Amino acid sequence: MKTIKNYFLLAIASLTIISCSDDDTPVANNVTLEFNNTFKGTPIVLGEEASTTATVNTSAMGQDHYFSELKYVISNIRLIKEDGTEIPYNVNNLDNGATVVNQSKEETLSYVLSEIPTDNYNQIKFGLGVKTDLNTLDEVSFPEFYASAGANDTEMHWEWGTGYRFTKIEGFYGADDSELSFHSGSTIEGEEGNYTQGVDAYRDIILDLPESANVGNSAPTIKIEADFDALLSGHTNTIELGEDNATPSVHSAANMELFVDNLGGNGSDDVTGMFSIISVEN
Amino acid sequence: MKNSLRNLSVIFCFLTLVSCSSDDDFSYEVVLYDNPEVDLNIPEGFPEINSYAYNNISTKYGVELGKKLFNDKQLSADNTIACASCHMQENAFADHNAIGIGIEGRVGLRNAPPIQNMIFMQAYNWDGNKLELEEQPLVPIITYEEMDSSIVEVIEKIENDEEYVELFIKAFNGEGVTAEGIYNSIAQYEYTLISANSKYDKVKRKEGETFTESEALGYSVFQEKCMSCHNTELFTDQSYRNIGFPVNPSTEEGGRSRVTGELEDYLKFRVPSLRNIEYTAPYGSFGQFASLKEVLDYLSNGVLEADNLDSILKENNNKIPLTEVEKENLIAFMKTLSDEEFIN
Repeated sequence: MKTIKNYFLLAIASLTIISCSDDDTPVANNVTLEFNNTFKGTPIVLGEEASTTATVNTSAMGQDHYFSELKYVISNIRLIKEDGTEIPYNVNNLDNGATVVNQSKEETLSYVLSEIPTDNYNQIKFGLGVKTDLNTLDEVSFPEFYASAGANDTEMHWEWGTGYRFTKIEGFYGADDSELSFHSGSTIEGEEGNYTQGVDAYRDIILDLPESANVGNSAPTIKIEADFDALLSGHTNTIELGEDNATPSVHSAANMELFVDNLGGNGSDDVTGMFSIISVEN
Repeated sequence: MKNSLRNLSVIFCFLTLVSCSSDDDFSYEVVLYDNPEVDLNIPEGFPEINSYAYNNISTKYGVELGKKLFNDKQLSADNTIACASCHMQENAFADHNAIGIGIEGRVGLRNAPPIQNMIFMQAYNWDGNKLELEEQPLVPIITYEEMDSSIVEVIEKIENDEEYVELFIKAFNGEGVTAEGIYNSIAQYEYTLISANSKYDKVKRKEGETFTESEALGYSVFQEKCMSCHNTELFTDQSYRNIGFPVNPSTEEGGRSRVTGELEDYLKFRVPSLRNIEYTAPYGSFGQFASLKEVLDYLSNGVLEADNLDSILKENNNKIPLTEVEKENLIAFMKTLSDEEFIN
């Protein structure tokens, strides 16, 4: 008899718990990340060689440049609540938590985070690139991201490094439209904390939101700007393009890090790189 | 009581067996496979074994499976290229092309390196980008200019082949066809490709062979002018050096620097082993030289200047001076490093 009574109480209690959350506010909602790729605020229009419609930018060193291709990988997304709690979004699942932003594909410029717990968030963190432990081109574990990154019109596999390309920019610079080609990716080997060789091109980005993203009744959109003026005229490095750094052979060496630090920050006094928040729409 | 306990445990075992096979078509979990380790006959005096190899010990069926995969053209997108297409045994598992050629005649970036004595190497490829041999097989499988396939595509092609399924099960304790099994078995096979039975080895081991006069003279020249880089029983110190060879015109080429990100490593390549060098023409990172004579002529005439040119060359006017007779003798000596057993 006593047992039955206990069960009864337990049933009541669980009903109470359920009914607690059973008001108008959903327990979770979507958050949309909108990526706006610009040169100093002007939306980038891509163009082939000698294009008259491409957005042209002028670097700090006075070099005009424009892009024909612009792609980068975003992963390891975390939203931070006002109380400091971090809500990771499928950070160990590239199929559900990573995306390739491709300026030539409108649908890739927005990325929807689903079922974010109802709360107020005032900071976002994400990775430019793929963190080392997941950066193995593991098609068996993450077939969808592997396929979308490797598609013929995307080409974000870095085969010889058995990792992903983190950034791929093709374009032109200077008066005679010289070729500009920048690819970044990691070549790091060994275990975390005990790397034996190579370059880590992954960068963790931390952005404070100008106003809280209130997830619940509303499904906020966080508008993020990626200002590619930083490529040549960044916080960390001012780069002049020339024969020895505008195409892969040398930029894949020491120069790659100069570009990577500009786009993704140097991890010490710059944790935002080219990124900033335009606005939060609740 | 004792008896009934024993009976109980028998029943328990039986239940376990039944439940194992009930949620799976197979019941391999309960079978023990006899898959002995392979005796690699590690030759005396060779450098230390790559420590990663201890995590993937070559076994009878692992090696058999790896060899089958190594020779299987299904690893390429259109089933025309196997690992063995560019790593041919008669060429000490290298090939004749200056630069590797993949499916549909696509040309890669570099000369296909010989696959020999891999277990003693601390890094792989011309630029040493891979430290674990198990991480290498995926690269040619997915590279556009090589096999242009994917690991899932390969698994789908072979996972219904009974011979493969049986080999995977025997090699990896009942595990079926997996990506790891593919990588590990190919590495296990490659670890067995040890070449240490050349005339040089037999002379050194005093097995009755002796150098000819020319070979002996060549060995002296070698010790004087080549051995600072081509040392140890592998005939490479496994260091990376820029020796001013003609530069690969591809903008993708950065040599060792594309791995380390260090400008000082620009166009440095790993010192190649000289074992079986007779069988691996052409020479150089992109097959710049058709013959050993061409390589020696080039080194003797003078190499390209570079900021990071190897100090040995810098100190000698950018050359390794050799007389015609010295070149002949050196080539005679290098041919004593040919291991006929290895290529047959």
